[in-house]
Amino acid sequence: MNSLDDSAALPPPSRDIKTIVNAGLKRRHAAERRFRWFGLAAISLGLAFVVLMFANIIGKGYPAFWQTFIELPVAFDPAVIDPEGRRDPKALADADYAALIRASLRGLFPRVEGRRDLRELYGLVSSNAPFRLRGQVLDDPALIGATRSVWVLASAKVDTLIKGNINRTLDESLRPISDQEIAWVDRLIADGRLEQRFNTILFGNGDSREPEQAGIRGALMGSFYTLLITFLLSFPIGVATAVYLEEFAPKNRWTDLIEVNINNLAAVPSIVFGLLGLAVFINFFGLPRSAPLVGGLVLSLMTLPVIIIAGRAALTSVPPSIREAALGMGASKLQMVGHHVLPLAMPGMLTGSIIGMARALGESAPLLMIGMVAFIVDVPRGFTDPATVLPVQIYLWADLPERAFVERTSAAIMVLLGFMILMNGLAIVLRKRFERRW
Amino acid sequence: MNTTTIEAKAALGGALNPEAREIPLSSAQITDYDHRQTVGKITVDHPKMLCREVNVYYGVKHALKQVSLDIGANEVIAFIGPSGCGKSTFLRCLNRMNDTIPLCRVTGQIQLDADNIYDKSIDVVQLRARVGMVFQKPNPFPKSIYENVAYGPRIHGMVNGKAELDDLVRASLERAGLIKEVEKRMDEPGTSLSGGQQQRLCIARAIAVNPEVILMDEPCSALDPIATAKIEELIDELRENYTIVIVTHSMQQAARVSQRTAYFHLGDLIEIGETDQIFTNPKHKLTEDYITGRFG
Amino acid sequence: MTISHDAHTVKQFDTQLANLRNLVLEMGGLVEDQIKNAVKSLDDEDLTLAREVIARDQIINGLQVKIDEDSITLIALRQPVGGDLRLIMSLSKAVTDLERIGDEAEKIARMTIKTYDVVSSPPSAKLLRDVTPMAKLAADMLHGCLDALARLDVEMAVDVARGDDNLDQEFQSALRRLITYMMEDPRTIGHAINVLFIIKALERIGDHAKNIAEYIIYLVKGKDVRHVSMEVLEKDAMAE
Repeated sequence: MNSLDDSAALPPPSRDIKTIVNAGLKRRHAAERRFRWFGLAAISLGLAFVVLMFANIIGKGYPAFWQTFIELPVAFDPAVIDPEGRRDPKALADADYAALIRASLRGLFPRVEGRRDLRELYGLVSSNAPFRLRGQVLDDPALIGATRSVWVLASAKVDTLIKGNINRTLDESLRPISDQEIAWVDRLIADGRLEQRFNTILFGNGDSREPEQAGIRGALMGSFYTLLITFLLSFPIGVATAVYLEEFAPKNRWTDLIEVNINNLAAVPSIVFGLLGLAVFINFFGLPRSAPLVGGLVLSLMTLPVIIIAGRAALTSVPPSIREAALGMGASKLQMVGHHVLPLAMPGMLTGSIIGMARALGESAPLLMIGMVAFIVDVPRGFTDPATVLPVQIYLWADLPERAFVERTSAAIMVLLGFMILMNGLAIVLRKRFERRW
Repeated sequence: MNTTTIEAKAALGGALNPEAREIPLSSAQITDYDHRQTVGKITVDHPKMLCREVNVYYGVKHALKQVSLDIGANEVIAFIGPSGCGKSTFLRCLNRMNDTIPLCRVTGQIQLDADNIYDKSIDVVQLRARVGMVFQKPNPFPKSIYENVAYGPRIHGMVNGKAELDDLVRASLERAGLIKEVEKRMDEPGTSLSGGQQQRLCIARAIAVNPEVILMDEPCSALDPIATAKIEELIDELRENYTIVIVTHSMQQAARVSQRTAYFHLGDLIEIGETDQIFTNPKHKLTEDYITGRFG
Repeated sequence: MTISHDAHTVKQFDTQLANLRNLVLEMGGLVEDQIKNAVKSLDDEDLTLAREVIARDQIINGLQVKIDEDSITLIALRQPVGGDLRLIMSLSKAVTDLERIGDEAEKIARMTIKTYDVVSSPPSAKLLRDVTPMAKLAADMLHGCLDALARLDVEMAVDVARGDDNLDQEFQSALRRLITYMMEDPRTIGHAINVLFIIKALERIGDHAKNIAEYIIYLVKGKDVRHVSMEVLEKDAMAE
């Protein structure tokens, strides 16, 4: 009890403490400064890479949001559109509108002759221009017989030229567009018949072989359906699992085993989940290939461990004093969890889930395995329609050589990054808003 | 010191229901254990709770050894002792909060009135409604002040209708001496109150379910002296209607608020007695050493 | 029942308690000297010594004030409980009694001066016969008290308490003798009254010493033995 009695008093300092400290002070300050510089340098390097990446993507992708249109004076020739004059919608729909475009182009450039040159001339306009005319006529049959100036989509190579991505000084054989075509385009520019407009096609169309007609709507909808399935499956299951494991499960060898496996599952490469999905959902259960339903199931498998781990972390972060308070009031265990613990853990769980979902949104490997990599033009309208998702779309486009697809790839990446930032932002907002301090 | 045993036996035989007679308390049984005999009179005239030979084990650790003691009706009894002496452990046995700790095992007998609280027929939910608890750190739910107090009555289905609940909430806050401070801000979160107010809110929450016994686990250790004084005053007022068991590290507090004091040491109940006797003339050397500050 | 001799966790508290007790013992020693010197001055007809005794009482009064201040400070700063509280309270009460004993010694010294400072003849030796044994009894009691306090010895304290009865009996018989002398020879009345005051003072010293002994029993045993019969006192003091 008297142990302190034995301890001798501190010996007096042999040297003045001030000089001792001062001697080493310079070295200490230098070490501190050095460390701060290292830190700053590391952050600057990291920031530089991020800026570089964003500059590259935005620089490449920005032009994709603009699209070149050509104004053509189109004579809606009744002889072509409706030779029988009955205004039969079916006949109107089947008419050869491409002929009108061709006629219009010939009218603009009357001196062009020869099949080769003519085909080059017709190639200035996108192959979907006739559909646009058909649409106009079907909307308003009164157009037949009239002559209107119509803005039609320019072909990808014209668009590329306008955006300055083709070097005019190169030899003709080395560039995708001939001298003759360049001359026509310049004429059109001089006549004011060429214009760049905001690219609604990018957001309104599905995929296409023609770059000027290709859009990300199909992939966006595919991603939406897939993520919806993922969220609907993994969130409730994940939360329920987390709550059970954290609050109710007895601590024994079985629960330990489950815990270890959940943690391992989170580290499993995503492609493995894809293979699993292919084997189980498609081959065994016979679910349709390329469908958001299967994609969602596979991504759920991948997201579940993340949500469970985040959920358990959120549950453990609820202070034990709240549990004690509830139990001390005579609340049953379920009441304690339901009334107090879960509401307090929910922001954390949601944050974890959103981050898991953001990861799922960016995932492509497992989806390749279940066939969501197919070329799909139609925008999916349900969970079983064939579909693709944004990252896969990016992967597909990144493979294509046309300059216009390079642009669109970057544009799609921008959209994907935008959604990622949005989701992470939402997670931060949720956390800030519902976070409680004790 | 053998008189203690005899007195305890006599009280058991007299005051309680026939079942109580079966509680074994013979010195032969006690000597089987390696523990220190309790000094002082463990029985009271009007017991609310009876504890006999309570042992608590955490795994292999024998945390509480053969503790026998009565808690009188409408008395404030203080448990003091150094950290790890088992006083909080014992307190938590009284409303079975130890149940939540895995590996914790309780033997012996604890009665609340005539019911053995460790009996299978007693549900902890019912027990904890009868034996409320206030914790060391003020822990209001992160809900409004009103909801904090209304929670207990609500989950136990004690009231019919909003008006009745309103009355109960107000009455509880009034009893806890908090009504004037929070009357105008019932919808504000309980966590927005000051520490002392939060603790009184916790007391209001506990008394809203009208318990018979209130357990307090170092209720003032996180509070400043003024807030502490208010809680102590409140404890004194509450004594009229409730039996209060308080664990405290502050001996001055035990001396101020309690009528009886029990001193625990390394899992043993060393001494129990009237508070004034414990603080002026403790019988056991360990008690004396602890209260006079001679503990290593 | 319990007085712990282990050190407090706060060592300064131990030092302060020890200082307080030492001050009381020092004061006790001074008071003991005062009694002895006062009685000696009477025996030796030494008026210088008697004046010294009167002057020294101021020192004792000063010590009383100092000890009371220290006790109050200790209570305020340390909030003593248990044995510590009993120690401080007992010391503080003992100091009051010691101061009174000092006053009684001063009284004896004044009586000495009064007795020998007059032109008339000094009192005959037989008048003063009882003073010496009573003074010895009283001084022994005080000495026993101080020893008991120094060692926290209950048995010694009980002995002191028991000694008070002897002193009271001595006082009674001395009183009777004085009355006899006064009746025999009324000229001795003046001196006899002075002697009466002196033996009364010695008897009072015994009472104060008994009080101190009782405080010591309370301090050690925690039992209040004031105003009880000697049998009860002995029983309480010896109880375990």
